[in-house]
Amino acid sequence: MQVRLHVQRSDPVTGETRLQLFELELPREATLLDCLEQIKDEVDGTLAFRRSCREGICGSCAVRIDGRTALACRTPVAELVAEGHAPTIAPIGNLPVVRDLVVEMEPMWQKMRAVEPFLRPGPDCGLDGRETPIPSARLDAVRKESLCINCGACVSECDAMTVSPEFLGPHALVKAWRLVGDPRDDAVAPRLKGLSGEHGIWECTRCYLCNERCPKGVDPRDAIAKLGAEAIAARIDRDRGARHAKWFVTSARTTGWLRESELVVRTLGLAFSFAKIPLALRLFRRGKAPLPLPRHRARDLAPARELRHIVAGQDRRGALGIVQGERALERIDFICSPEQPVGEDEP
Amino acid sequence: MRRIAYYKGCLAGLSARELDVSTRALAPKLGLELVELESVTCCGAGDIQMADPDYALHLNARILAEAEHAGSGTILTVCNVCTLNLRQAAWQLGNDEQLRSRVNENLERSGARPYSGGVEVTHLLWLIARGEGLERLKEIAVRKLDGLRVAPFYGCQLLRPSKLMGFEDPDRPTSLETVIEACGGEPVDYPAKTRCCGFPILLAREQTSLAELARPLEQALEAGAEAMVTSCPLCHLSLDAWQKSLERTLGRKLGLPIFHLSQLLALAAGLEPARLEFSRHAVSLGPVLARLESPLEGGR
Repeated sequence: MQVRLHVQRSDPVTGETRLQLFELELPREATLLDCLEQIKDEVDGTLAFRRSCREGICGSCAVRIDGRTALACRTPVAELVAEGHAPTIAPIGNLPVVRDLVVEMEPMWQKMRAVEPFLRPGPDCGLDGRETPIPSARLDAVRKESLCINCGACVSECDAMTVSPEFLGPHALVKAWRLVGDPRDDAVAPRLKGLSGEHGIWECTRCYLCNERCPKGVDPRDAIAKLGAEAIAARIDRDRGARHAKWFVTSARTTGWLRESELVVRTLGLAFSFAKIPLALRLFRRGKAPLPLPRHRARDLAPARELRHIVAGQDRRGALGIVQGERALERIDFICSPEQPVGEDEP
Repeated sequence: MRRIAYYKGCLAGLSARELDVSTRALAPKLGLELVELESVTCCGAGDIQMADPDYALHLNARILAEAEHAGSGTILTVCNVCTLNLRQAAWQLGNDEQLRSRVNENLERSGARPYSGGVEVTHLLWLIARGEGLERLKEIAVRKLDGLRVAPFYGCQLLRPSKLMGFEDPDRPTSLETVIEACGGEPVDYPAKTRCCGFPILLAREQTSLAELARPLEQALEAGAEAMVTSCPLCHLSLDAWQKSLERTLGRKLGLPIFHLSQLLALAAGLEPARLEFSRHAVSLGPVLARLESPLEGGR
């Protein structure tokens, strides 16, 4: 199979960046990593890229292929070069380039360190050398997140990190949930407080690019939502983002629909809302800012109020409300026997 | 006429009322009889999904159950966020019997109807960008947009997560372009058309949000767009209502008018602009409407 690739080359000495075209001959089953290795072995030994395990475990070889981040070792090249297309291979984004396809991972590790990525064991955690038995249902809450291989694919395209480089980002927040959700950890409240800062949980813009790109199905955005859910359940909810989220609950149970006109004050607080008066007036003139009264009410509101009451008394508070839906969502990727509903294969 | 359950969501009943109005005006032209779901609530907007995710699931189950009761196997939405939340809940409830029976028990206790599974959730864009819907659109698009250069803005949650949405390639979508062309406009390409407008954190993290918003607007103008169209009322609120605030941050004038998808379609279908409530937009569509052939009013 003939393969043509444009590879982004960056020279740290001259600071020059250019695209270089390579023409290769590879077997049909070759991966993108095979291509890069052939270039290095046979065409141009100066090409720099990272790789180790070759099988999607080590997380070293993430690159951007025509803009989308993926592991080179898990990307069959035949699909990329269909109809004579010559894909462009570039380093992952949101991290400084060292050379060619190699990026400096240190900013990512700094954020990882900032979330204290180690267990702070509590009294129930067998420090006497014995194992700590944990019900498997409790581990379900962090099972997906423990699949992370630190490849940086989520960081590469995080829209919020691109415009706000200090945002902790999906990778570090996945690790944070891995620990917040771990029943052995004894520092949940201080962790959640720390994660609720200016560049924490509530700076995620829910673009879902991290979920889209993660090669291991970790779904970082969902982990961020779990952190938010736990923070609010633990009443660590002073942040504007948390107040914004809570207002939707109040709205749903009182009027059914969003009480939009009050959202600004509820999120920003009264003092900061004054700055929004010119905007509100501008929109009001256009008929865009609805008045708080009379309220826009849903018909037959009682069940919405009652449901809130009912679920509050059940055992799916906080992140468990998200975790309970994960088993069904996993089936999207491998629907092998649709006649067997998920609920039936109990552990 | 095809009867279809219509879930308009919060914004189309509030600040984006023009979206609801134009959707209703357009529906008969598309051969749709909208059955509005009334005993329903907010879908959670991704916010209840964080503040109380279990409650969010129940609210969505109720919406799905109401659609089922209305005798419609499909729910039509006009909002990206509603589409994602409803599709996620529909998948979870449709593929996990234990979960569904627990939720149904709660629904019945609360006095709501149970959901038996199998309702399909679709968006107006999906309905008209392919197959019969597209053929119909081509037939009704009598007032061609005269080569108007329109930038498509998809918004995140109609594309991603693609395993739940699945209508098209989330990185190289074509549906909005197809629709713009069918309406006689010229689609303008620019890199940020599939990226985030920043809306969900507009109040919580204004600076970050506006920095995201700047990219599609600046790039679309750079690429020569005369207007933009979006499938999401939340994106619309950012792109339109907050454009002036962004102009102040950037220190430059943008002035890019933003269509709701339904407005663009309705305009092409020959509906009177006055019926489409363009006067409610923060950025005037006046110049764009004036450029189109027929004598138009209502654009300000």
